[in-house]
Amino acid sequence: VTATLEARLDTAQPSLVDLLDRLLGVGVVVSGDVTISLAGVDLVTVRLRALIMTVREDGDG
Amino acid sequence: MSTATYLYALCRPDAPQPAVRGVSGAPVRVVSAGELGALVSTVDLAEFGEQALTTNLDDLSWLARVAREHDAVVQACARVTTTAPLRLATICTDDESVRERLRRLSPAAADLLARLDDRQEWGVKLYAAAPVSTSSAPRAASSGVAYLRERRDELDRRAAAADAARRQADDVFTHLAGSAADARRHRPQDQQLSGADMPMLLNAAFLVEPAQLETFRAAVDEMARALPPNALVLTGPWPPYSFVSTEQL
Repeated sequence: VTATLEARLDTAQPSLVDLLDRLLGVGVVVSGDVTISLAGVDLVTVRLRALIMTVREDGDG
Repeated sequence: MSTATYLYALCRPDAPQPAVRGVSGAPVRVVSAGELGALVSTVDLAEFGEQALTTNLDDLSWLARVAREHDAVVQACARVTTTAPLRLATICTDDESVRERLRRLSPAAADLLARLDDRQEWGVKLYAAAPVSTSSAPRAASSGVAYLRERRDELDRRAAAADAARRQADDVFTHLAGSAADARRHRPQDQQLSGADMPMLLNAAFLVEPAQLETFRAAVDEMARALPPNALVLTGPWPPYSFVSTEQL
């Protein structure tokens, strides 16, 4: 719309953290016959250190 | 190999097959039933079975790869047709089980797709202007009473700063929601994860229709100008990830 956007716009590949906010979201994923609980947020919290490393390697901190 | 069907997104049954590879390089196809379609690919249960997933989801390099592969499919689909993205690792035992599920979801999902038509998700993150102090610097107080007074003042200042931050986040959210069809708040990202210099006050997503886009972006611009550089970060356009919840389906 405008090239003079004042807010910084992340146009490159989305950051992994932004993506995981959206992909893990809330709650439970139900499959056909198997129920897989995806405690997304907890997973991220528990694996905080590992994720920080992944994110940094991703180069989009 | 024993396989299952991985779902990326819901779409209309006549959605074109996107020219993109899915997780682990598998070809993506559309499975349809009645009024609804799903973008799917075949996955190996050795990697995506319940037990394997428990291990793999804890492996951040695996999670990062699959998240990117999932996103690539959803983005490719969202570029050409209305797409309701599903959560990571939504898996059915086979295509027939996908069709059963689509038949069950059909009425609610058709409404959802109609709500998402032509609309884009934009992300807005607001960062604090100053770091929120977690410990006060020790001071040489002249007396016990003076120490207690300083300590109380410090706590008051911190509470006031936290209040102001909350109000600022609420204001930004409410103002931008006025130019959007729908709005959601994610949890602010942990500073260690975001890697940002400042704590995040607001992590929001807005569903914007084409006719509102200019107004929405102008509103973001205007707010950004009133704030320190990089305090307000706009991301997007995203497929409408934040506007498909399992409760809706």
